[in-house]
Amino acid sequence: MNSKRIRLWDLPTRLFHWSLVLCVAAAVISGQVGGKWIDWHGKIGLAIVGLVAFRLAWGLLGSTYARFAQFFPTPGRIKAYLSGQWRGEGHNPLGALSVFGLLGVLGVQLLTGLVANDDIAFRGPLYDLVGNDWSNRLSGLHHLLANVLIALVVLHLAAIAFYGHVKKKKLLKPMLTGWKDDGEGESATGGGIVALVVALLFAAAAVYGASGAWLPEPPPPPPAAETPSW
Amino acid sequence: MKSKLLLSLLAATLASSAMAQVKPEDAIKFRQSGYGFMAWNMGRIKMNVEGGNFNKEEVIKAANAIQAIANSGMGALYLPGTDKGKGWEETRAKSNIWTDKEKMGKVATDFVREANEMAKVAAGGDAAAVGNQLGKLSGTCKGCHDDFKAKR
Repeated sequence: MNSKRIRLWDLPTRLFHWSLVLCVAAAVISGQVGGKWIDWHGKIGLAIVGLVAFRLAWGLLGSTYARFAQFFPTPGRIKAYLSGQWRGEGHNPLGALSVFGLLGVLGVQLLTGLVANDDIAFRGPLYDLVGNDWSNRLSGLHHLLANVLIALVVLHLAAIAFYGHVKKKKLLKPMLTGWKDDGEGESATGGGIVALVVALLFAAAAVYGASGAWLPEPPPPPPAAETPSW
Repeated sequence: MKSKLLLSLLAATLASSAMAQVKPEDAIKFRQSGYGFMAWNMGRIKMNVEGGNFNKEEVIKAANAIQAIANSGMGALYLPGTDKGKGWEETRAKSNIWTDKEKMGKVATDFVREANEMAKVAAGGDAAAVGNQLGKLSGTCKGCHDDFKAKR
C-alpha cells in the first residue's frame, strides 16, 4: 500500500486534547496541594466537565477519526489487532480502550467531585443533591480514583513512548499538527461548523448543569430566622 | 454508722470517676463535635471572604472559636484504641495516629500554629489577608486528613 499525507485529527479534537492535558495536570496538582487551591480545583473541574462533554458530543458529530463508532474497541477488533491483522487509521483498538478508560474514569471523577466535600470548607457545587453521607462516600471514591487516573495517564505516556521507540510510529506529531505523513487511509471528513457549534452548546449546557447555578437559591435569611445575639 | 460508711464509699467512688479519663465513646463524640464545630466556623470565615461583604466581627468570632478548640488539648481525647468505635458516627481516626507519633505531632502543631495565626489575622480585619490565612489553615487540616483520617 502506498502511504500518503493524510488529515488525521481535526482541530477541535486537538484543542480538546491539549486543553485536557493542561486541566487534568492542574486538577491533580491543585487537589494534592489543597489549602486555598481547593477552590481552584473546583473551578478546573467545571472546565473539565465542559471539555469531556464536548468530546462526547464530538465523538458523534466530529470528523472521521474523532468518532467513537470509528474506533470503538469491539472484541473482534481487539483480537484482530493483537494478532496483527488490524489495519486502519486513528485510534487502534488498544488505544481506543485507553481513550474510553480515560474518559470513563474522568467521568466518574467529575460526577463524584461535583458532590464531594473535603471536611474543611469546600463542597462541590452539587453537594446538596446527595447530602453529607453520600458526599463522604463519593469523596472517598474521588480520592481513590485520582490514583487510577494518574496510572492511566502514565500508561498512556508509556504507550506513546513504546510506539515511538519500538514500533517506530510517531503518535505525537499528528496530535500537534493534525497531519500524519505516512497514512494509509483516507483523510478525515465531516465535523463542520454546525457540528462544532452543537458540540460547544452541549458543553456549555453541561457546565451550567454541573455548576449548580440552577439549584434553588438557599432562601435568603428571612428576618424571622433571627438568632440570639450571643 | 453503717450508712455513714456507705456514704463515704459512694463519695469516694464518685470522686474517682470524676478523675478518671473520659469514656472512649464520649471521647470520640467530643472529638467529632470539635471538628464539626470548627467546620461551621471555617465555613463562616469562607463565606465572609467570598461573599463580598466582609464582616470583621463575624470572622473574629469564628477565628477565636477555632483557636480555642485548637488549643484545648484535643490530644487527650485520643485514647489508645479509639481508632475504632462510634461517637456520633463511626470514627474515622486511623490507627497510625498512635504509631506515627512524630508526623502526627507535626501536623497537629502546624494546625495549632495556623489557627493561632488565623485569630491574629482576623483581628487585623483585612479580608485578603484573612482569605490567605484561611487557605493556610485549611492546608493544615488537609495535612492531617490525608494521612490520618480514613476515607469512606
